[in-house]
Amino acid sequence: MREPHHERRLFWYLGRRRRTVEAEIDEELALHLEMRARELIERGLPPEQARREARRQFGDLEGTRRYCRGLGIGATTVAFAAIHATLLRPLPYAAPERLVRIYTDAPPNRFPFSVADYLALQAQQTRFERIAGYTGRAMSFSDGVVAERLRGRVVTATYFSLLGIRPMLGRDFTESDGRPGTGPAVIVSHGFWQQRLSARADVIGESIRLDGTPHTVVGVLPPRVGPLEQGQELFVAAQWTPPRRKGPFFITVLGRLRSLDDRAAAAEELRLLNRRLFPVWQASYQDEKASWAMMDLKAHVVGDVETMSGLALASVALVWLIACANASNLLVARATSRRRELAVRAVLGASRARVTRFLLAESSLLAFGAALVGIVLAFAGIGVLRRIGSAYVPRVEELGLDGAVWWCLCGLTAASTLLFGLVPSLQASGAPVDGTLRSLGRSSTASLAVRRLRRALVATQFAIATPLLVVASLLLASLSALGQVSLGFDTRNLLTASIELPRSQYAEPGRVAVFWDEMQRRLEALPGVTGVAFADGRPPEGVDNFNNFELEAFPTSAGHSQPVTPWVSVTPEYFGLLGLRLVEGRLFDGHDGRGPNLESVIVDRAWARRFFPGGSAVGKRLHEGGCSTCPWVTVIGVVSEVKYAGLDKPDQGTVYTPMLARGVPSPLEEATSRFRYVVVRTSAEPLSLAPSIRQIVRDLDPTLPLSSVATLDDLVARSLQSPRLLSMLVGGFAAVALVLSIVGIYGVMAYYVQQHSKDISIRMALGGRAGDVLRLVLGQGMRVVAYGVAVGLLAALFLARFMASLLFGIGAHDGPTFLAVALVLLGAAAAACFLPARRAIGLAPAVLLRSE
Amino acid sequence: MALPALPLVQGTLDLLVLRTLASGPRHGYGIASVVRDLTAGDLSIEDAALYQALHRLDRQGLVEAEWRPSENNRRARYYTLTPAGRRRLKEETAAWRRYSRAVEAVLEGR
Repeated sequence: MREPHHERRLFWYLGRRRRTVEAEIDEELALHLEMRARELIERGLPPEQARREARRQFGDLEGTRRYCRGLGIGATTVAFAAIHATLLRPLPYAAPERLVRIYTDAPPNRFPFSVADYLALQAQQTRFERIAGYTGRAMSFSDGVVAERLRGRVVTATYFSLLGIRPMLGRDFTESDGRPGTGPAVIVSHGFWQQRLSARADVIGESIRLDGTPHTVVGVLPPRVGPLEQGQELFVAAQWTPPRRKGPFFITVLGRLRSLDDRAAAAEELRLLNRRLFPVWQASYQDEKASWAMMDLKAHVVGDVETMSGLALASVALVWLIACANASNLLVARATSRRRELAVRAVLGASRARVTRFLLAESSLLAFGAALVGIVLAFAGIGVLRRIGSAYVPRVEELGLDGAVWWCLCGLTAASTLLFGLVPSLQASGAPVDGTLRSLGRSSTASLAVRRLRRALVATQFAIATPLLVVASLLLASLSALGQVSLGFDTRNLLTASIELPRSQYAEPGRVAVFWDEMQRRLEALPGVTGVAFADGRPPEGVDNFNNFELEAFPTSAGHSQPVTPWVSVTPEYFGLLGLRLVEGRLFDGHDGRGPNLESVIVDRAWARRFFPGGSAVGKRLHEGGCSTCPWVTVIGVVSEVKYAGLDKPDQGTVYTPMLARGVPSPLEEATSRFRYVVVRTSAEPLSLAPSIRQIVRDLDPTLPLSSVATLDDLVARSLQSPRLLSMLVGGFAAVALVLSIVGIYGVMAYYVQQHSKDISIRMALGGRAGDVLRLVLGQGMRVVAYGVAVGLLAALFLARFMASLLFGIGAHDGPTFLAVALVLLGAAAAACFLPARRAIGLAPAVLLRSE
Repeated sequence: MALPALPLVQGTLDLLVLRTLASGPRHGYGIASVVRDLTAGDLSIEDAALYQALHRLDRQGLVEAEWRPSENNRRARYYTLTPAGRRRLKEETAAWRRYSRAVEAVLEGR
């Protein structure tokens, strides 16, 4: 008996898909079947019957097989559902196609509007049915016992009516809610109403305290909201007064077009309005190049997730194709070994069409079962995505199996049936019947067509796996490059948290200063604390204040934009605490920022290098915010760099302004003095100090919440989460693709050796050398692989361009990566070919020839 | 076999599997054989159920699986009892003894 289980063991191997766990179960069960069959044979059953009996006793074999394939289809469905929810489905607002976001376009940046901008647009525009604006604001809500910091928005009275959202209880904002001087009104989220207002129906008209000020609850939102409202608890009606200068810029503006045809006219009107407004504010704003523009609201909501999801979906689709090629390959082999059965059917009068139908029915049964398992897995997968994916998928709460997903699943099932069923069945049923029957006794009758087909399938697998591996390697390389970026200081033993003093309770600057002084004093006295500083931004991506400025030495010429860099306001202790090196000049002392004409700032090395590459930056003067009537600000020192805008961003230069821990707030920091990050250097595990710090704040003011408590190390890890997830996802798929392709080539070559065992042993018997046989088998296999890899590399060259924006520290066409991937694939394939080749050499010529 | 094999009483499969493994590591097929041999074919374990039980016990941490060469040099998955599994076996055995004593007592009519 020449290993009859060979093809079947291969079948189990081919079941390998997502995880080796499945493959191991398969192998385990296959071994069981074999041992049982052997036992039955020993008891005297004919081999064929023994195998059937072993299978009967085993039970649910087909179910196991379906389960494995179902895993592949399930993954595809989940990914599709995620992408459908984010990218394809229209936004859940009334007539979403007419919704746009309006912004100030100053390439490469898109800036929000200022109050001056918004009021002018509102008064003068004619092309929009409505415009609305919103800005994010964290609010502290106290029920008298516990203070919490909640996410909320300040919105114009038109916000909900523009989006077509009607409150579930109470009323929408009216114009009078937006008029300055009216009592502040708030609409709360469904979740807030349930958790903090006990879901009472009579809350409308009640007053709640936000940031210490009473607000009247006028409405409660329905439970399902759109992506813009997601995660927001409170919506306060904006009351904006005409400003004295053009900035600051913080309002996200939405517009609803009168009709879709108005698009071009509306864009043109925005440009004209901006040009008309420009001269009005020239004293405080000089960026003549910036213009007003608009974009689809959906593009604004979805953002750069598009590239990431596209990549994930493409990986899933490619792995699915490889899996289908494998299944197809397997069924070809199976159909070949079932030639006798099919030939008998044909002899008994079944037409070719009928045999094809029979085989197709079989494969569609498989595919249908797989689809059922896929649905179950999709449900589970969506559950998981909802739980862990909210950080990465913007509209995750809308995720679900809706009509389009079902259609996708049906399409996948049908395509799977055809892909892994039709090819082999056509091939198998096409052979001439009597020839098949006659040739059955002999072994070397594998038709050339079968071999060609199987090789083409394997070459395709390699052609698909190559770009996947290239993409995964590029992503991993950029992840490791990101991990090696230095923040610019020692991140160990640093704890930060943020705190905001509500304007209503801390109206006088004196009270604010007393609070900060006292907090610093008590923190410094805490055992285990070695230093305390305050800042209004924190690394690696916690800076909100990007400021434009005008250098005295290089005035911005008309038609050009002023330079913009992060501005961070810090207390004098900040530099020493983080361990920033002073490169030139001096650090802040107690006097900086006190007098009206003593404005001083410190810049970092990147800033100095960018604007004064030849000489020294110390002593240079600038106007902050482009305000030409403001006093000059002088650079007094240069320190080493810190990443504030994200690890993947280059150092653009940072400006530090003095924030006074003691004394009066300086005019420069007026806007930010009520919000601070506290940074604490500890001698022990930093998080262990968090409770004591909380207690200190509670002692100072029980209504104040301390929020976003995190160690610097955590913040760095968090900023790497999204790239890490993506590279894990794609890397996982690439690994599966690699394994499937290797299994494919192994199967084909094992089959080749089996079919040619006679020729090979004759050769060996006639004195052929082992090296020749090895070369023959390896050559046969590697030629197929080389074709596939070559095509795959070309495809990768083409595809990698699209992911350039996701890469860091490595080019999309990185030569070494491409070379390494090709080598890995070729090496793995060679190993897979080597096993059957070695068996070919080991064939005992005499035994084999005798058995024929 | 004179009589057809008895179906397993619900819940005893885990006990049998654990007991079989107490004398040393075995693969799935080996467990099935041992049970059949010890009971002279009076108890039949369905293969599908056996493997389900093994993987369930594995997940519960009561047994541990490991790939080793089998007696005829094939790669086979061998199961070993973990300390937790040994504890469970002791408890279950005691429970079963009490149970069967109770049933026996009623049947004897004492």
